[in-house]
Amino acid sequence: MPIESPSRLVRPAGSGRAGAATVTHRGRRRDARRGRAERIAPYVLVAPAVLIIVGLRLWPLVLGVNFSFTGDGELNGTPVGLSNYLELAGDPLFRTSLRNVGLLVLLLPVAVAIPGLLATFIYLRVPGHRVYRSVYFFPAVLSPVIVGAIFNLLLGYDGPLNALLGTVGVGPVDWLGDPGVAMFTVVGVHIWATFGMALVVFLAGFSTLDASLLDAARVDGASLRRTIWHVIIPSLTRTIQFVFVTTMIGMLTSMFGLLFVMTNGGPEGSTYLPEFYIWHQQGQMNQPALASAASTVLFVVMLVVGLLQITLLRRSGRQD
Amino acid sequence: MAGRRLVRWVAAVPMALLALATIYPLVFTGNVAMKTRRDYILDRFSPAGSLSWDNLAEAWAGAGMARYFVNSFVVVAFAVALLLLLGSMAGFALSQLRFRGSSMVFLGCLAGLFVPFQVIMVPLTRIMADLGLIDTYPGLILAYVAQFLPFTVFLMTSHYRTIPAEIVDAARIDGNTVYGVYRRIMLPLGVPALLSVGILDALFCWNDVLISLLMMPSPEHRTLMIGVNALRGQYSDDVPGFASGVLIAAVPVLMIYLFLQRQIADGVTAGSTKG
Repeated sequence: MPIESPSRLVRPAGSGRAGAATVTHRGRRRDARRGRAERIAPYVLVAPAVLIIVGLRLWPLVLGVNFSFTGDGELNGTPVGLSNYLELAGDPLFRTSLRNVGLLVLLLPVAVAIPGLLATFIYLRVPGHRVYRSVYFFPAVLSPVIVGAIFNLLLGYDGPLNALLGTVGVGPVDWLGDPGVAMFTVVGVHIWATFGMALVVFLAGFSTLDASLLDAARVDGASLRRTIWHVIIPSLTRTIQFVFVTTMIGMLTSMFGLLFVMTNGGPEGSTYLPEFYIWHQQGQMNQPALASAASTVLFVVMLVVGLLQITLLRRSGRQD
Repeated sequence: MAGRRLVRWVAAVPMALLALATIYPLVFTGNVAMKTRRDYILDRFSPAGSLSWDNLAEAWAGAGMARYFVNSFVVVAFAVALLLLLGSMAGFALSQLRFRGSSMVFLGCLAGLFVPFQVIMVPLTRIMADLGLIDTYPGLILAYVAQFLPFTVFLMTSHYRTIPAEIVDAARIDGNTVYGVYRRIMLPLGVPALLSVGILDALFCWNDVLISLLMMPSPEHRTLMIGVNALRGQYSDDVPGFASGVLIAAVPVLMIYLFLQRQIADGVTAGSTKG
């Protein structure tokens, strides 16, 4: 419960609550001055954070949208209407990056189901469950650069993974060089690196689960599949929602490091994602306004997908 | 009952394999880092015959990893200190003090949480350039503070909400100013949350690629992660040397993970249960 108001607590002596020391005349004037200082104290406390967040996060958002309607190069600063957006629509690289976003959204249930299932088994005390939690979470603390660098070694054409596959007779796969495979490889590595994060969130959700429900299901002789479907999933709607949304945000905003280290957008531009496209247009091609337009599109895509997920999950949650 | 136990054991097999798949990549990298180039070319899988620290020493001193390491360390230390200071100040005011506009401020912080860096990176780079902060340490520190402050404020606010108002009341009656309450009551009581938020902020900053890439263009200002990537070009035919660089960048994080796993997990889950 928050304090009513700072001024209430520095009321003049005499009107004060029992136990407060009586203050002399001079002290009262000091109190008045102190009262003013106290009233502005909350503003002083939040001011730096507000300045930074408004100035360097919210204001740039407005600036960026505004910027996306101006031109690049010689047209720098002049309004050009929707031409940046039209250029994006015609750019095969940007189209690929949006197609890849679609792929990520399709793979999202997999990225949520894996940690969900693993958390269920850990919760049900599979042998060794204590160790698994720490082991699975550990790649989540590694930088995408480290993860990407490690997998560059592992996934090389003559690397360990192909050697392993070779022993069971599966021919070497060009994990990062084949345009049809590379995007799946990168997403796979991303899931490897982040499923521990979702796992820990799931486990926190499980700890709030009503154990008597599970006991009841067991007494009724429900199978594991039915227990998961009818008891665990409905009780964890909020957690599942949270994991869906955060996993999607993670996929759309934290794969830059992997792309940067593992594929650099290639082969043949097949692993472009909007964030990589934005970086490339801004830094490499020197087209900041076009990059801003791509940023705006990414923001809208994230908003739409996020809201869609929340409504869909809400609805399915209610049906259960 | 027996069936259930069987299911558990059946599930344990893929889980153990997955655990192996989680650990093996790093073990492999560590092993490669210990090999000489000759050993690596002859057989990349066998355990390194003898532990050789030469590659690590070479990457540390010869390839400039020491410089990058110090860059990262300084930037992360300042950024985390600032984040915790500003985050706990705002969190205290938003949770325990009532003032006009407080809900607006909280909503503003929350909105900041949902603005991904990718969406604002073009205008932000421009603002930083206008302020003359590109390619400077304060610039990168400020960029990190801006990036992770909404998260820090949010978690500190929800932590301070759990502290009963009576404690603050009592401290005020004892004659403390608002600032006195912050320093004598709120900072000490906030230590568990400050610790877990601080560790997460430090990990985020340490592991960042994109912000550092944009804010620090010159090679001598590279942070460790950018430095590791740059090693790839330097060591294109020396895989053990490259693996050593990777190991140097990964070890501090692994140390933190081994000792502070609990706090990291707490920080990650705080958003899901309190939000």
